[in-house]
Amino acid sequence: MGTTLAPDITQLDFLFASCRETAQDPEFTVAKRWLAEHPGRKAIGCFPIYCPVELIHASGMLPLGIIGAGNQIEITYADSRFQSFVCSIVKSTLELGLTNRLKFLDGMIFHSICDPARNLSSVFERNFPDLFVEYIHFPQNFASPLARQYLATEYRRILDGLERRSGHRPTAEDLNQSIDLYNRIRARLREIYRIRAETPHQISAAESFVLARAGTLMAPEDFLKMLEQVLAGLPGRPTRPKDRIRVVLEGSFCELPPVGLIETLEEAGCYILDDDFLRGWRWFTEDVPLEENPLAALAESYSERAYYSGTKHDSRETKAAHLIHSVKEKKADAVVFQAAKFCEPALFDYALYRKALEDAKIPHLLLEFEEKTWSFDRARSEAETFVESLLFD
Amino acid sequence: MTYGGGVDVGSTQTKAVILSEDRQIVGRALINTGANVSLAAERAFREAAASAAIAPERIAYVVGTGYGRYKVNFGNAQITEISCHARGANLLFPRTRTVIDMGGQDAKGIRVGEQGDVKDFVMNDKCAAGTGRFLSNAAETVGLSLDEIGPISLEAKKPVRLSTVCAVFVESDIMSYLAEGKTVQDILGGVHSAIAARTVALVRRVGIEPEVAFTGGVSRNIGMVKALEEKLGLPVNVCDDSHFIGAIGAAIFALERALGADASAGSEKISPVAAPASSRPRASAG
Amino acid sequence: MAQGTAKTDYQGRIHNLQKDMIGRYYARLTAAAENKGEKAIYMLISGNPVELIEAFDMIPVYPEVNALQLAVKKQSLPLILAAEEMGYSTDNCAYVKADIGMYFAGRKTPFATIPEPDLILCNYVGCNVYLQWFEHLKEYSKAPIYNLDVPFFRTRSDDPSAEDVRYVVRQLEELIEILERMSGKKLDYQRLQRIVELSGETGALWSDIKRLARERPTPFDAYFDSVMMMAPLYCLRGTEDGLWFFREAYKEMKQRADNREGPLSEEKFRVVMEGPPPWPYLRQFRDMFSRWGAVAVASTYSTVGGIWEFGFRHDPQRPLESIARHMLQWNLTNRNFLQRYRQIKEYVDGWGADALVIHSVKSCRLFSAGQGDMREYFTKQLNVPTLLIESDLEDPRYFSEAQLRNRVDAFFEALEHQRLVKN
Repeated sequence: MGTTLAPDITQLDFLFASCRETAQDPEFTVAKRWLAEHPGRKAIGCFPIYCPVELIHASGMLPLGIIGAGNQIEITYADSRFQSFVCSIVKSTLELGLTNRLKFLDGMIFHSICDPARNLSSVFERNFPDLFVEYIHFPQNFASPLARQYLATEYRRILDGLERRSGHRPTAEDLNQSIDLYNRIRARLREIYRIRAETPHQISAAESFVLARAGTLMAPEDFLKMLEQVLAGLPGRPTRPKDRIRVVLEGSFCELPPVGLIETLEEAGCYILDDDFLRGWRWFTEDVPLEENPLAALAESYSERAYYSGTKHDSRETKAAHLIHSVKEKKADAVVFQAAKFCEPALFDYALYRKALEDAKIPHLLLEFEEKTWSFDRARSEAETFVESLLFD
Repeated sequence: MTYGGGVDVGSTQTKAVILSEDRQIVGRALINTGANVSLAAERAFREAAASAAIAPERIAYVVGTGYGRYKVNFGNAQITEISCHARGANLLFPRTRTVIDMGGQDAKGIRVGEQGDVKDFVMNDKCAAGTGRFLSNAAETVGLSLDEIGPISLEAKKPVRLSTVCAVFVESDIMSYLAEGKTVQDILGGVHSAIAARTVALVRRVGIEPEVAFTGGVSRNIGMVKALEEKLGLPVNVCDDSHFIGAIGAAIFALERALGADASAGSEKISPVAAPASSRPRASAG
Repeated sequence: MAQGTAKTDYQGRIHNLQKDMIGRYYARLTAAAENKGEKAIYMLISGNPVELIEAFDMIPVYPEVNALQLAVKKQSLPLILAAEEMGYSTDNCAYVKADIGMYFAGRKTPFATIPEPDLILCNYVGCNVYLQWFEHLKEYSKAPIYNLDVPFFRTRSDDPSAEDVRYVVRQLEELIEILERMSGKKLDYQRLQRIVELSGETGALWSDIKRLARERPTPFDAYFDSVMMMAPLYCLRGTEDGLWFFREAYKEMKQRADNREGPLSEEKFRVVMEGPPPWPYLRQFRDMFSRWGAVAVASTYSTVGGIWEFGFRHDPQRPLESIARHMLQWNLTNRNFLQRYRQIKEYVDGWGADALVIHSVKSCRLFSAGQGDMREYFTKQLNVPTLLIESDLEDPRYFSEAQLRNRVDAFFEALEHQRLVKN
């Protein structure tokens, strides 16, 4: 390294390193610091995939992504509540609760994902009686306009519950302000993903991952500033594309893979042009419109302005068709389907994806991962073999 | 003098114990089970009787336990090893409220009442994590015997973090660590720690209450004793006779039925008999 | 002391009757498959609008029932393996795998040829796998699909919200429009009312039968016998045949209750059973409990199709609303986990049970995920002796007889001992 590098670059590396630290912190230090600096403010945890964070924010509370404990804590208590054939994120999230790490939260919001996640919300309710626990049922009847009306009513119900906790009843104006803020965050995340798809050597998937994850653990106002810093610094980064295959990654929409695993895939020779990490916090394909009835706008956007995903059963089009479209549009070489062990929705999807990808002659690799891994040799071998098979065709 | 006999037929070893009416262990035997299970049961029983210098016919009642309990053809009853372990631990350590048993191929947690009755139990016999099998695979991979790995694990300075608790995959894990230059002590420290954590998580399903007795073949491993104590935050009781706990418990049941049958003719009533203090064997804390 | 291995004859008159009726139902399916019968509507057992299907003279096809029949007849494994070869995971629900395997094996089973769907009606009632299952069937069959979205019973109150009921009723109206287009006929509302009335009466009889299990001894095993009696409840609910079956079943059980006859020679332990049974090993599993004189007085699995024992009835005066409530609230799968704890507690107290047996199945996470917490609640908070055992409902590879027997024996040994000591 020499003096020819602009100072911005080291700043970016430093930023990503601090995001990584935040992402791997099972004690929620950043969030707790913010709460200490804003006495009287409360925090509500959101279990992954899509949670209408705008409702929480507009109620004056801090939405936080409670998405398992990665590979940072040992599971000693939660194993006795959930069986061995249940995914790790359910157990590690419960472990966070049972080891008193979630005491600083005022509530947890769960929602439709899969059966274990739903049972988890009941287990939380029973074991943490002081916690405000809610469950959002997202509609699965996308063909009908009834679903949108239902969801807007459901959002009203959640808002009423949040109000009992916060003491604050948000107006339509409050809601639109929160929607606007999160729109801007999501727009910048989309921009980062666009940059990754076009010039993947400028920002790695691991970096974008820790950035997005850190964003779920801090105040959105702070995250917006951080995103702007990143976007300002990216153009100045050195461009040295490597000889790698270009892949689209899917299946990791809930339990988070360890950063080391993402890095391993990249080092094994993949540019990950797109992924569904933290899909719930990047749910919308475009801005949610600011309207007179914000709840209706949010409800409509849930189905009409969203990515196709494992937990949505939109019978109007198939998920596989969307995946293939994405692969072609980004000129990717292959798909990596990276599912969490025991993840029922992802593993079901795989059966259909496999056939569709084979029919479309798109090579793919199936990898199963667990959040609590810290040794990636096996994954590396599998990925390298796959890369070789494509490069040495 | 009435005697009771207990025969514990395990998958690898068969143990037999003869108890006298005042709950003293007067005879014992330990043999390899081998392919012929009923023969092993009979041999073990005869050897135990011989070691007590008592004719086998003098033993009033015999209870078979362990996975091969139905092959104890000469037995008067079959009782699961869970019930027997609880009773046996209660005899050796009367204040036992939790039993952690780690055998060659399975692991159990038992919550025990004052009389040695089973309050709750949990078993892992689906995978070898937390069993002797895991440890013997690990020992083989580092080229040591099962007896050696315990003391060596205590010398670990920075125990490694295993990425798997699968007894099959542990080998490749250990080999990677050896290749990285980790010391055998640190690797073994990590192995024991991982197994202890897994076992404690299993036993938590029934709740952990002091005093804790550690039984089964693996309890002779000082490294595991210490690793468990560390994970539990509690001392564990072990003794030389931990191998025989199942057979001891079976013999207690046998004795009670023999004495109960004498006391009230025809009924199957089991009267819990308190163990006199002198029958408590020496506990070696290890 | 275990009772030894005297083989009990578990097949009474009602079992045989049930076999006949289901045989005739399957003959109708085969006719539909050969294009000589009714239109086939694929549906799920749990909380469904079968009354509407009946009203349009269409036949309900239940992939769940087909899957369990395959398991009972020990035919499930090769189909599961075929599905796994296609890309389904070992961790996916084996009901689905067996069904998909069967679909690609020409839909021929030893008991029927299953027709292709004319409509795939996914009544999304709690179980998320339902959504995947039917999504896949739609992909393979190219049949039209309707996701009937039933909001999960997620509120603390005793009833679902008015909005939820309205949402479901309006979807039922959308469904009626679809069925009208398919059949070319308008819905005969009075016919629907009559069918709903039959459902109501059938439910009432099922409830009365279940309440007989409160007697000592219970006249039937509320798990093993109930799951056998359940099939007419889905396949024939809303029909005269179905009603007649339950009248007969009630007569028989009442007579047994009056004669103090139970399924075993001696009833020693009364248990509540939670979880689906291991269908490929029903007999062996039952024997493990029978040898201890243990009989089930209540079970949760027998309420997946509907819970009538706490007062719910289909109401012919409000047919769509009561169908909606049945789907929202009065079945097991759409209820949350804590409501299941309450249901089990109700059984333990109301039916006089000594213990709870939780049969955890790998395939069904709706039932199983978190049963460790259930166990903890019942043992630590309520002091109800609880046994937790694991296997699977469809895949024969996960059943380990020796290990299961060991656990069952250890559990009843301890219970027996406790009883002796108390006396």
